[in-house]
Amino acid sequence: MTATTTRRHLLRASAAGAALLASPAIVRAQTKDLVVGGAAGMAGYMKEFVFPGIEKRLGIKVVFDGTRSLVNLEKMRADRASPRMSVVLMDDPIMQLGWDEGLIAKMTVAAVPNLAKIKPSAVHFDGAWANYQQPWAGVAYNSAAAKGVASYAELWSPANKGKVIVPSLQNTEGLWTLLVASHLETGKPFKDAQYDMDAGFKKLSSLKPNVLTVYTNQPQAENLLESGEAALMAGQFSSYTLIRAAAGAPVGLAAPKEGVFAMPSGICKVKGGPNEAMADAFIDAYLSPEVQSILVEKSFVLPTNTAATIPAGFVVPADPFVPDWSNVNKNRDAWIQKWNQVMG
Amino acid sequence: MSRFGIAWLAAPATLVCLGLFAVPLGLLLVESFHGAQGWSLAGYRDFLGSAYAWGVVARTLRLAALTTAICLVIGYPAAFALAWTRGWVQSVLVACVLLPLSLSVIVKAFGWTVLLRANGAVNLALMGLGITSAPLRLLFTEAGLLIGIVNIFLPFMVLPIFASVRQLDPRLPEAAATLGGGPLYCFLRVVLPLTLPGVIAGGTLVFSLAIAAYVIPTLLMGDAYQTLPVMIATSFLYLQDPMRGSVAGVVLLALSILVVVASTWLGRKGEAA
Repeated sequence: MTATTTRRHLLRASAAGAALLASPAIVRAQTKDLVVGGAAGMAGYMKEFVFPGIEKRLGIKVVFDGTRSLVNLEKMRADRASPRMSVVLMDDPIMQLGWDEGLIAKMTVAAVPNLAKIKPSAVHFDGAWANYQQPWAGVAYNSAAAKGVASYAELWSPANKGKVIVPSLQNTEGLWTLLVASHLETGKPFKDAQYDMDAGFKKLSSLKPNVLTVYTNQPQAENLLESGEAALMAGQFSSYTLIRAAAGAPVGLAAPKEGVFAMPSGICKVKGGPNEAMADAFIDAYLSPEVQSILVEKSFVLPTNTAATIPAGFVVPADPFVPDWSNVNKNRDAWIQKWNQVMG
Repeated sequence: MSRFGIAWLAAPATLVCLGLFAVPLGLLLVESFHGAQGWSLAGYRDFLGSAYAWGVVARTLRLAALTTAICLVIGYPAAFALAWTRGWVQSVLVACVLLPLSLSVIVKAFGWTVLLRANGAVNLALMGLGITSAPLRLLFTEAGLLIGIVNIFLPFMVLPIFASVRQLDPRLPEAAATLGGGPLYCFLRVVLPLTLPGVIAGGTLVFSLAIAAYVIPTLLMGDAYQTLPVMIATSFLYLQDPMRGSVAGVVLLALSILVVVASTWLGRKGEAA
């Protein structure tokens, strides 16, 4: 008897579930879901500090799909005919690939008014995507071993023999070490040195005695720096190192005199994605001074909206350098192979 | 007829091996001859013509050979202790060999990254015993890698030798001694030949594991230490160059097969003698 009732209940529930699944448009219209792709690592502070305000103001529900930039790109490729995501947050080099493949819809100032207030170096291809924040990258140091890093040349200093950690070129932040090497070897500014990476590899080969390890796994490397096994870690960015420092870890992030780099955090609208107007409004919120001020405070990034406020005591290094990502994408494979030969 | 009847028992294992090993390996082989420009030998030409690739092969073989040799030197006497002790001592020794196998390789490798630090247990012990006066750099060195990898693969050397030693009648070396054979003669002419199958099995296992190790070198040496498995991962994951990765995979497979065939041959030769 009980079994029969249970089975009937189950059948009824299944039928209701099937009906629900068969009409996703209705469900979507009712809840005003906006599917946003992004990095898994940012899910915590975005869900805590950023999404609630936007959801309330726009009357929507943000469904955050946190993974890696390359995975988001794969999803955009796979769903090209009928995209599920409306907005995607990704690194610039991956944005570039998405733009080249026609997966991104260009934004307009009419639909996204805050786009006009973003500093020009943070808007790419006339609105294909924009940087909503710029974590800056310098050199991380163990605060017991060093008080700061005045120049990138200190990475090469004999005093740091076996004490330097370098990110692999397979990681986005790996590029900065190569670029710095090229700059130090040629004396050219970053904007020219980025096209002369052969000189960078030459200089990089002399870094080897100082290299403790080349990482692809950042948390493991961060652990070595915090424990004092390493003194310096190249290519580190504010939205990681400074969050650790704020949590009490004995690390600091230095902005050497040669300059710092912009870690590229972009936002874009998926071409043909659902809820286009809602997507525009969501992007506009990300480019607004209000949201960017929250990000500045919570994740130690530079804002891109010129009107965003910066909290007292927040150290802002000089304008971070933005590289030519299309040049990076074009050469990355060859560079990785050469990198392995030089560093191996 | 009855032979075929028994052979059917291997059907599930055969299916698994065909579906999960033979077919993917076949695809790997095909991929190594097929690039963006269609069928070609370019992948092999690039690989065999690259001094860097040869360096990677040499480093991979060196790591596998050193690991096997050290495991043998440590594991061979340990297997005798394991087989010839009795009672609770034997239980403790067996537990020492088997229990570490239940721990994930990743956990063990991470553990070594902590133990091998300048202020880690290994350096503190060396300095405490007065062997060294200052911390040695062990982490991200080949010495550190060997310490970690030998620790992780040692049971795979001990267990097959242990199985051989258990079958060895302890009275045989005694008999040889009674007949006037010196200790070295007894070992070389009686004990070693009788335990050789275990040595060959253990050596093959450890060599195959070490030549294909990916996690341990990655964690203990980092990205700068390129071996064939690391090269395969980089090719597929980052360079999006399946042909390069497949060629490296085929080379790794060929080296492993070579070792298995050579050890089987050695084993047969040992039996015949």
